[in-house]
Amino acid sequence: MRAEYKLFGVVAAFFLPVALIYGFATHWREPVGFVGLLLCFGLGMMISFYLWATARRLPGERPEDNPAGEIDEQEGEYGFFSPHSWWPLALAGASALCFLGVAVGWWLFIIGAFLGVVALVGWTFEYFHGEHAA
Amino acid sequence: MCRVANVAIMALVATASALYSDSAVPGSVPGHGPVTRPNMVAVGTIVWLSSELMFFAGLFAMYFTIRSIDPGLWKEKTAILDVPYAAANTLILVISSVWCQLGVHQAEHGKASRTGKLWEVGSWGMREWYVVTYIFGAVFVSGQVLEYATLVSEGISISADAYGSVFYLTTGFHALHVTGGLIAFLLIIGRTFTTRHYSHAQAAGAVVTSYYWHFVDVVWIALFATIYLLQ
Repeated sequence: MRAEYKLFGVVAAFFLPVALIYGFATHWREPVGFVGLLLCFGLGMMISFYLWATARRLPGERPEDNPAGEIDEQEGEYGFFSPHSWWPLALAGASALCFLGVAVGWWLFIIGAFLGVVALVGWTFEYFHGEHAA
Repeated sequence: MCRVANVAIMALVATASALYSDSAVPGSVPGHGPVTRPNMVAVGTIVWLSSELMFFAGLFAMYFTIRSIDPGLWKEKTAILDVPYAAANTLILVISSVWCQLGVHQAEHGKASRTGKLWEVGSWGMREWYVVTYIFGAVFVSGQVLEYATLVSEGISISADAYGSVFYLTTGFHALHVTGGLIAFLLIIGRTFTTRHYSHAQAAGAVVTSYYWHFVDVVWIALFATIYLLQ
């Protein structure tokens, strides 16, 4: 994981000094740039720190970090992936109605929001009820 | 104000210690994915949250830019703000993060719901802690609605002047995020009722929802400091 957290660490390492230089150069009277650059530091730091904290919990070296690693060393269950689902399409349609509603009239937004709730619940619960819930 | 800061630090420490404690393996819910790599849902959530940070960076840039253009307006309007009220509301949101972390602890141990009676807090599972988190979050949003109502009655509205626009856009977008988090909590809690077995996928969902909640909490502390303390 070293390559990953270092990669995002570079973003953080670049923006922190740049934020400080910017603040110093503007006599700390112009907060827009300083805060913006500081949050860019946060952008890199957040991912870098997370990957670093995760990496030190994982046992041993990953196969992809090992020059002599084999593809089959990466086998295992990666998670659950839905083979197909209609719910994302339904949710996208409902969202489109909501946005259209902002332009056309709030009555349409309310219809879109109602359909959105149905689609969202349908999507989140698709594999967590009935025959999947064993 | 000092108390708010203290509790904020406590919440951050709680989150940080959860990242380090042996029981909590961030991003690698046991048995979910190969042991040599982090959980994809968790990493994806962190990357998405970093893009959310940029969204809020835009809002901060807007706030500071317009404030620098019209400092007189700021002086006049920020005097109307009820800082102690907002501080108390902030405290509620920060405390909700502590409850959320306790729920995560249970989720990581695969404990979906309580094993004892409702008043036996020690036996609570993820569900009970998330319900408490939800209540605190809901109180926060309701508190903000009440604050909006008061401010509108005192002449600060989104279309009245630049200050109103900036105030409602920044705090409003944050409140929408909190509301989104509340909906996520409902879905996460709801899934524990429709399944017989608390799966790793469910625990991963609970954990990443907590990441989002802590993120929104930290953003609010920054917004609170900017709008109410720094003014």
